[in-house]
Amino acid sequence: MRSPQPDPGPEEGRGQTLEGLLAQVARGDHAAFEAVYDELSAPVFGLIKKVLRDPAQSEEVAQEVLLEVWRTASRFDAGKGGAMSWVLTMAHRRAVDRVRAETSATHREQKFAPDPVTGPDDVAEAVEASLENQRVRRCLGGLTELQRESVRLAYYGGYTYPQVAKLLGVALGTVKTRIRDGLIRMRDCMEVSW
Amino acid sequence: MRLQHDDLHTLTGCYAVDALPDDELEEFERHLAHCGSCAAEVRGLRETAARLALATAESPPAPMRARVLAAADRTRQLPPITENRPARSGPRAIRSARSARRARRSYAPHSAWIPRIAVGVAAAAVAVAGVFGINQHNTQQRLSAIENQLTAARAHNTQIDSVLTANDLHLVSNKTSAGGSVSAIVSLSQAKLVVVTSGLPALPAGKVYELWLLGPDNLAKPSGLLTASAHGRTVPVVASGYVHGYSLGVTVEPAGGTLKPTTKPILAMPLST
Repeated sequence: MRSPQPDPGPEEGRGQTLEGLLAQVARGDHAAFEAVYDELSAPVFGLIKKVLRDPAQSEEVAQEVLLEVWRTASRFDAGKGGAMSWVLTMAHRRAVDRVRAETSATHREQKFAPDPVTGPDDVAEAVEASLENQRVRRCLGGLTELQRESVRLAYYGGYTYPQVAKLLGVALGTVKTRIRDGLIRMRDCMEVSW
Repeated sequence: MRLQHDDLHTLTGCYAVDALPDDELEEFERHLAHCGSCAAEVRGLRETAARLALATAESPPAPMRARVLAAADRTRQLPPITENRPARSGPRAIRSARSARRARRSYAPHSAWIPRIAVGVAAAAVAVAGVFGINQHNTQQRLSAIENQLTAARAHNTQIDSVLTANDLHLVSNKTSAGGSVSAIVSLSQAKLVVVTSGLPALPAGKVYELWLLGPDNLAKPSGLLTASAHGRTVPVVASGYVHGYSLGVTVEPAGGTLKPTTKPILAMPLST
């Protein structure tokens, strides 16, 4: 058995959870992959675009990630977390890899100085759509400003924590702990099961 | 750099949001292998980060769906891992994370262009077969040759892609009087075409094939030079300024090209459907 959790059989998985669909995809089921695409494409594209900003580049990276979901579906391990989180972790990492590959040392200062991330409104704008989003906003609002800015610059901005520290003008150790504290407070606020 | 354990533990947050610089990433992953509580915390924080991601959800452009599904169609999937692995503990998570990173690193930077181009070409194939009633099989064969050629030429991908993602592509193709053939994938909405060739005779030094957009009143707009690539083909050229009714011309010109044709065209091919 591939996964520590019961693997849905060829019939049972269809139309069920994302985890079930991924098990289908791992067996080469194209219909299941279409369903997975429909569920994942907006979160994947939205997240990548949040980080990269450029729509064309975001589309390119989103395609890579979604194809990677097809290719590596057999490696998804439900014992290590949910399917959505597995895919979005991959998407975020790809976006960040792209940012860092393109940010040469010489351009770093210019690139970071003027336009890191715009402000709380930036988040507000993105999150108005759904209850889930309102909850994210409410929970972000519950963080201290330094926690919120640290989390936002790191996750939505795609910056490393030393870069975040520089942008916020605080010590490295402070940013490290603020990112962690902020995420933990978010986690508790949103009652994420884990 | 050697960090204290406490320091390392506070990096779970940075790790969960990919905010660790490369050197610290390596070190933290080594630490994760022996720190079950870190691994559990990372899992939880990644779930949290995923919620942050969901707040940014935005539908991608609709044509992306067909491209991804078609790319999946011809992408072999990784087999499951069957080795005996320790049950649900840190080390396994780490090993997977590492192999995932290795996989990331080995990923060619622009590989995603290839399916896009291929899908665009496939779409053109279908369009052409539909419009002209051309035998689908031959068209597919011909286009699959063109597709291989496009795949080989990554330098122009951005430009080419901007044409091939148009939804009004059609393909025209013809033999030249000098031998070999020229194909154009045309988008009226983009006013552009991608020109590829096969089997054009090699030219003596100092000569080059030049492309022209030919229009009414003897208009001949210089539209690029052909550069030889592998297997008797040329690097795809994107020509812009296409208007309905124009033709594609090819002449042999002095190296560097000219502003007006100086020789009789070896091809003058109508581009409109």
